[in-house]
Amino acid sequence: MSGPVREPIITLDGVSRIYDTGRVQVPALIDVNLDVAEGEFMAIIGPSGSGKSTMMNILGCLDRPTSGRYILDGQPVEELDDDGLALVRSRSIGFVFQSYNLLPRTSALENVATPLMYQGVSRKERLERAQTALERLGLGDRLHHVPSELSGGQQQRVGIARALVTEPAIILADEPTGNLDSHSGAEVLALFKDLHALGRTIILITHDLDVAAAANRGVHLRDGQLLETVVAA
Amino acid sequence: MKARDLLRLALGRLGTGKLRTALTMLGVIIGVASVVALVSVGQGATKGISDRLQSLGTNLLTVSPGFSGGGGVTRGSFGSATTLTLDDATAISQLDGIAATAPQLTANKLVIAGTQNETARIIGTTPGYLPVFAYDMWTGAFLNQASVDHNLRVAVIGSTTADNLGLTETSVGSTIYIGGLPFQLIGILQPKGGTGNADDLVIVPVSTARELFVGSNSVSSIGVSAASQDAINTVSTEITGLLEQRHNIAAGGTDDFSITTQAQLLGTVSSVSDVLTLLLAGIASISLIVGGIGIMNIMLVSVRERTREIGIRKAIGARARDILAQFLVEALALSLAGGILGVAVGVLVSLVIGLDAGWGFVFNPGTVVVAVAFSLTIGVVFGVWPAIQAARLDPVVALRYE
Repeated sequence: MSGPVREPIITLDGVSRIYDTGRVQVPALIDVNLDVAEGEFMAIIGPSGSGKSTMMNILGCLDRPTSGRYILDGQPVEELDDDGLALVRSRSIGFVFQSYNLLPRTSALENVATPLMYQGVSRKERLERAQTALERLGLGDRLHHVPSELSGGQQQRVGIARALVTEPAIILADEPTGNLDSHSGAEVLALFKDLHALGRTIILITHDLDVAAAANRGVHLRDGQLLETVVAA
Repeated sequence: MKARDLLRLALGRLGTGKLRTALTMLGVIIGVASVVALVSVGQGATKGISDRLQSLGTNLLTVSPGFSGGGGVTRGSFGSATTLTLDDATAISQLDGIAATAPQLTANKLVIAGTQNETARIIGTTPGYLPVFAYDMWTGAFLNQASVDHNLRVAVIGSTTADNLGLTETSVGSTIYIGGLPFQLIGILQPKGGTGNADDLVIVPVSTARELFVGSNSVSSIGVSAASQDAINTVSTEITGLLEQRHNIAAGGTDDFSITTQAQLLGTVSSVSDVLTLLLAGIASISLIVGGIGIMNIMLVSVRERTREIGIRKAIGARARDILAQFLVEALALSLAGGILGVAVGVLVSLVIGLDAGWGFVFNPGTVVVAVAFSLTIGVVFGVWPAIQAARLDPVVALRYE
């Protein structure tokens, strides 16, 4: 990496996540250590069953580690209660999902404005900000379309607008191109590169090495363990 | 989250499934409408009865023969005992604080006027009858003291009787036959209205009735009008003392007569109808509870259907309480809208029934407030469980839900 060493925005320190199914304990993540610096575009690469989803849930504060420390944006989150985690998700994380996960029967504009509603932003301001975010992603003429009226690529761009609208510390993308044709997928990846160029911190979780190649750093996950760090070109 | 945002979410959601929303609300609409309608019908009926009782005169005391039960209600059928006489009535009329008395000898006789006839209630009484029972003359004159003193064969009839017999203003002075005997019709009473038979009667002098129809001194009741409403209790006590003395009943012994005041009667009627109204409202509120269960059912289904939506909302920053509030406000909006529509339907139904039954439109804003408050309570009670289910969903699980 070039330039001055920046403070890590994410620190995972010996993080394990063990699912207790009653009879057996299934480890999904084992002793994971990871630092992500601010402004990094990082890929977490792993096949299905490698613990990718668990990694995504922990990083996204949807789940807590069984043991270990997770510090996000200076805030140790493993001790937070459910409301605390919700607040971190609201302020610090923008999710981009494989299946878009837009609210059905809800316009693109309302979808993008919804995270701001949970921050208590006034309706006028959040609609303005949502519109700006959608326009920046080239969806200015699709503001009032509901998801079912949009193509996959357009839906995913709405999803990205929704992740960006709160100006979060990190953007967490879980197989964002998984449901898209190669052309739309390439567009989405190009979008992430642009966002990275603008200084955003992006964590891309994928099984696809070609997709991961868009990032400038990659880590592999195998059977719940972080194997190696791959620095891309 | 702000209240306005919650409301917008709820209304948006209810607007997207209009048929489902309407069907869910139907339960509450029926429940609230039946509560409002039944309470209003109950109160209307009470008002109808009270109006009729009040039209008899609020200063009225009725002295009846027969033994008195605990609540002042005469045991045995009205007028079946023979312990009260015309002499008692005369004695009562001489007490202080009494405006008028009206002993009643009653009989049922065939009345013939021209070609028309009907069996009517014949009341033998005194000129005091008019003020005591608060009648007014429509045409002609009422009985006078002379007609009583001289056993005159004169009759005054009620407006219904007049209609039935085809008698009008111009008939005053004509002859009608009561029990086969000729009487001169001297007057027709102003109708009192109401649903009873207060206007279907034939009034003759008490002396004439005793001579021709009854043959004894026993009266079926004595109506007494107190000089004022405040005097009712004093008068009642006086009459009791007088009659006990005349009938040789020791103080504290069992009286062979009973005194009923209008106030007592009104009290009895209103307490009976209060219980009845409460009963009706209770039955109706069962349907409200059923409506509430309908809301709970639909909300539980909704939580299941929208599991993924809940997961998304949590992922983008909703706290458990935001989800809870969203679902609760939805249930409340359903029940409140149902409640308001139910009030409208209930008011309409009670209007129709009230006009049909003749007591007019009885509108009680209190019932409306209670019904709406109750439907809101139903919304909270039956909405909170599904809302808690929604709020407790694990976002990880909810996001993967298909």
